[in-house]
Amino acid sequence: MQIDTMIHIGDWLFLLEGAGVTIALCLQAMFFGILIGLIVGVARTAKTRVIELPATAYITIIRGTPLLMQLFIIYYCLPLFGINMPKFLSAALGLSFYTGAYVGEIIKAGLQSVDVGQREAARSLGMVPWQEFRYVVLPQALRVIIPPTFGFLIALVKDSSLVSIIGYVELTRASKLVVARTFRPFTLYLAAAVLYFVLCYGLSRFDVKYLRKKFSASLTGT
Amino acid sequence: MIEAREVQKFFGSLHVLRGISLSVQKSEVLVVIGPSGSGKSTLLRCINGLEAINGGEIFVEGAKVDPHSRDVHKLREHVGFIFQRFNLFGHLTALENITLAPRLVKKMSNTEANEVGLRWLTQVGLSDKAKTYPAQLSGGQQQRVAIARAMAMSPRALLMDEITSALDPELVNEVLEVVTLLARQGMTMIVVTHEMGFARNVATRVVLMDEGKIVEAGLPSDIFDNPRQERTKAFLNKVLTH
Repeated sequence: MQIDTMIHIGDWLFLLEGAGVTIALCLQAMFFGILIGLIVGVARTAKTRVIELPATAYITIIRGTPLLMQLFIIYYCLPLFGINMPKFLSAALGLSFYTGAYVGEIIKAGLQSVDVGQREAARSLGMVPWQEFRYVVLPQALRVIIPPTFGFLIALVKDSSLVSIIGYVELTRASKLVVARTFRPFTLYLAAAVLYFVLCYGLSRFDVKYLRKKFSASLTGT
Repeated sequence: MIEAREVQKFFGSLHVLRGISLSVQKSEVLVVIGPSGSGKSTLLRCINGLEAINGGEIFVEGAKVDPHSRDVHKLREHVGFIFQRFNLFGHLTALENITLAPRLVKKMSNTEANEVGLRWLTQVGLSDKAKTYPAQLSGGQQQRVAIARAMAMSPRALLMDEITSALDPELVNEVLEVVTLLARQGMTMIVVTHEMGFARNVATRVVLMDEGKIVEAGLPSDIFDNPRQERTKAFLNKVLTH
């Protein structure tokens, strides 16, 4: 029997499909992660202990343990307690909570960077707390929040390769599978790396070209 | 329209206000003078509910000031506050700074708010700076925008907390002129200031505070020319002779 070491068009498509899964996985982790981050970030700045403490505990635990362990716990340990979920959900959940902790801490720092005088001015004009937050604090905090958040999200795209460990087929796992059949590690891993690069580069261009321009306008006054 | 009764305020163990009582009538300009740390600014912040008091009561137009109540924002809608450090919203232009609260709080339409905003910018002499961001304005200009921002809410009273202390000397007058104009138009104000000449010009009544108490209160002519208390004399000697 002969081993087919050719890389077929189907293999390339399989790789691209993996990249698509990575994108989907990251997009949802970004969406839910930022949502969680917003909640715990605001909770971290709360003066009430009962609100602040759980948020702090969550951030400390997630940031203090490897993502790999978090994925293992969700995928292997939760079923022991009768909680079973599909691989995509395990992977998505793990990455979302992971993102939430880091983004939460960035958001907290961003909110605290806004001078207390800004809040007082808003309040003295009769604004209610949510108006003060939405129209005065948040827009100014975003300027501080966006750059490190994108730094984290770019790292997240690469970290998402870890979910291949629990057998979920995304870009890294897809390339491994094709390598296993074709014995062409160099070509395939290089291709996978190029695909990761394209994703990360796109993300950083979006940040620099679009978001930073949008939110720094008032700083430079243009 | 503003009344304080036996107001007490602590910052931890520090006793900042030790039984302050005062009342301000409509169209009155009460100027509060006194050394640093005497509690002047704290008193203003308590009147606007930016700080909670630990004893006594404060009333604005008959309504009790309570920073923990749900209605405290309604009170603030009617009492403008001008800060020492301007506190203009850094992400908004001068005009947007002025129109934000009228739009959000008073539910004005954009057109209406812009009209009011431009009118007040013109009043403070900055109609050409509508689209300028705070970072590009001088301190004096920023403070004038801050005054316009407070006035655009049509407040019934203005509280001014050392509004020229953060300004370069040559920029002080342009701000004080605006305030003097408002006082002439009958705006009710409580003004904390270190500018004695201005205090004398603009005040209908002067209060001297020291160590959290009111040392002396009276007409500007009485306080500045014939102070009765030794403490007042000592303070005025210090600030007027340099």
